[in-house]
Amino acid sequence: MKFRRLDKRIFFLLGIIVVYSTIVGLKNPYFLSIQTVFDTIRSSSEAALVALGLLVIMIAGNIDISFPAIALFGGYVTVVIMIATGIDNLFFAFALSTLFGVVLGLFNGFLVHSLKIPALIITLGTQYLFHGIMTTFIGSATYGAGVMPKSILSFSAKQLFQIKLQYGTTGLTYFVIPVVIAIAVTWFILYRTMLGRGIFAMGNSEEAARRVGFNPLVIRLFVYGYMGALAGMMGIIHLASVNAVYPNALIGTEMMVIAAVVLGGASFSGGRGTILGALLGVIIINLMNNTLIFLGLSSSWNNFCVGALMVISVVITSYQERLENRRKLLFTD
Amino acid sequence: MKKALVTLKDVSKAFIGVQALSKINLTINGGEILCLVGENGSGKSTLVKIITGVHRPDEGEIIFGEKSYPFLTPRTAIAEGVEVIYQDLSLFPHMTVAENIAISRNMYNKKKFVDWREVRQVAQEQLDKIGVELDLEARVGELSIGNQQITAICRALALDAKILFMDEPTTALTKKEVARLLEIVQGLREKGMAVVFISHKLDEVMEVADRITILRDGKKVGDFKSTELDEDAIVRHMTGRDVTYSKYRRESADDTVLLEVRNLTKKGQYEGISFQVRKGDILGLAGLLGAGRRELALSLFGLNPPDSGEIYFEGKPVTIDSPAAAKALGIGFLPEDRYTQGLFLNKDVTQNISSTVLDELSGFAKVVDQKAEERLADESIETLKIRTSSRRTVIKTLSGGNQQKAVIGKWMAIQPKLLILNSPTVGIDVGAKSEIYERIQDYARGGMGLIYISDEINQIVNNCNRVLVMANGRGVAMLEGEELASPDVERQIEELISKDI
Repeated sequence: MKFRRLDKRIFFLLGIIVVYSTIVGLKNPYFLSIQTVFDTIRSSSEAALVALGLLVIMIAGNIDISFPAIALFGGYVTVVIMIATGIDNLFFAFALSTLFGVVLGLFNGFLVHSLKIPALIITLGTQYLFHGIMTTFIGSATYGAGVMPKSILSFSAKQLFQIKLQYGTTGLTYFVIPVVIAIAVTWFILYRTMLGRGIFAMGNSEEAARRVGFNPLVIRLFVYGYMGALAGMMGIIHLASVNAVYPNALIGTEMMVIAAVVLGGASFSGGRGTILGALLGVIIINLMNNTLIFLGLSSSWNNFCVGALMVISVVITSYQERLENRRKLLFTD
Repeated sequence: MKKALVTLKDVSKAFIGVQALSKINLTINGGEILCLVGENGSGKSTLVKIITGVHRPDEGEIIFGEKSYPFLTPRTAIAEGVEVIYQDLSLFPHMTVAENIAISRNMYNKKKFVDWREVRQVAQEQLDKIGVELDLEARVGELSIGNQQITAICRALALDAKILFMDEPTTALTKKEVARLLEIVQGLREKGMAVVFISHKLDEVMEVADRITILRDGKKVGDFKSTELDEDAIVRHMTGRDVTYSKYRRESADDTVLLEVRNLTKKGQYEGISFQVRKGDILGLAGLLGAGRRELALSLFGLNPPDSGEIYFEGKPVTIDSPAAAKALGIGFLPEDRYTQGLFLNKDVTQNISSTVLDELSGFAKVVDQKAEERLADESIETLKIRTSSRRTVIKTLSGGNQQKAVIGKWMAIQPKLLILNSPTVGIDVGAKSEIYERIQDYARGGMGLIYISDEINQIVNNCNRVLVMANGRGVAMLEGEELASPDVERQIEELISKDI
């Protein structure tokens, strides 16, 4: 019974992963290894965090494209403060960056709610605004591995456990810890709290949600604040994974995350989307980014493949909707 | 003896200078079905919003049993057992039936967490109360409108509703669904609840009502036993005047056939439909929801290609495969849902009216001639009596009747030979209604052919000189002349349309 509700979309995404892995595996047996699994998880961690935040926002019927700027702002400012104060503690880093993220996120949520202007435009503006504030008032220097706080550097190298391979060892990155926590928290909020049901309700119909007693302001502040928190965490993971802070990092990566979440079944009109779908979307995109090389394809094929996948999945969805509308004699096209 | 659930005493409410309600006294009793009728702007919705705690009255009191309130909040209204089912039902289409039913109760109880087992249990209890079975895990958006309405009723019941308001509950329902709804509502009455229908449609709902309360211009005209009023009397009370609809008689000597349809068939929708529309004909299509009228009309406008059969326009065989093709032949189409299909809601009156003839209005480099556009709009406003503060007023701010007149104006701009009207007077005031009928009849007298679809059989009989009765996708009768003049004709059509159900 329960599986009846498991979206067709999830099978579609799993299917893509299986087919793709089979093709690559046939071509290059090295691909089918635990190493690939671990690498994909590691490289997906950053995007997975913000994808969860974006999923929550999209379920509520909104959108955010400022999260890379928030992540960078949180990470960058945290590093500046850590260097200036000499505090070198990973939890402090996460807490501080998350706090910045929450503040900027709440700012987004407040604007989106009160201005009644499409969230896309507002967060396009705040993306530049946040980044501009950072580079103008806080700094635009690059911090290399030499000056980076040791706690962040070591976070990147840590592994939960290791497996001996024929040549050397491989292990599961520490990055999965915040991701797993974020998945659990997001799941709990969305499916076990009334706040989460309010997020779904608002994405279905804001007016109806208001009528049953949800407060749209509270929900907007929450979803953007939550996105901000996850973006702040992502900022630290990003710094750890590149071992440096560049003042122009991350900016421009928002579309890939949006693509992943949409591929995972979230809808721009809100009310729909699953955690599993969003995560699979992230995994597919990262898997392709990292392993097309196994097929002997250059990195310029990445965009082509991701783009094609996205267009195909959107076309299939909208075609099905159109058939359905046709059946009901609604003419939407 | 019936128990008064709520009593309004001398309730008044004004909005920026407009007296929406003045000195309303009303008692709603348990175990009764009340119909609240009135034209748009008569104060029906303000009254409901006061009882549900959305608006605060300026004066008067609201009494529940022993307790008297100067005003209510939404919370106190729910606590006193007041629930409203809005016309749009306020459901969440991507969420399950169970959750849609339980969500209001969870909110009211200030739940922080969701217990899914309880959600399903609450939902099942409500369904049991009214004796209906629904799949609790189905998404509401996939249900029929009738079942969606049942979900909305269950949501109200989950909050222990004692007084249930239903806003225009039957508009989108099939005959069967209406019957089931009325049965459920009568069951609720047996249990001692009060059900208040809010409507400006005078239909089957009236038949089950115990009492009818009529509002006009913010004042109560009176409470009436449903047995003591007929439709004409209700209309008279609603409008304060006698509204008479003139009967259409075709006088044209020119019998040129505009449209002829032979054996038109679309699988699963309609079958073997044949008829003619001559100049000056108003052909009525009578039938139930799902009888195939709408599908047939869409086919004639190129939106729903038929599988087989022939269409002749002015004697020549034609294929109408797109609205553009239909328009080129001189066919106009007024869709049933003016909001999503008939209007550009955020555009002004002028832009809406000129939207069908932009090519004709544009000259050099396809730039629209604004002067000509405005002249056209002014003409429409004048002849159709569209009440608007200016020709540049955004159309969504007009009342339904005036919006509909603009849709008619938009099609008149192409000077159509044939105009298809699907339910042109749904949700429209009695006054505007009679104006629209007058226009339609004028057009026919001027030699246009019209096809008129309506659920109101009396209006079909009034406005049409030929009526095709459809049931289950087939034409079951073609009535004209003498047959339509018979006093018994409405009942006859009623019987015909319910064939094989």
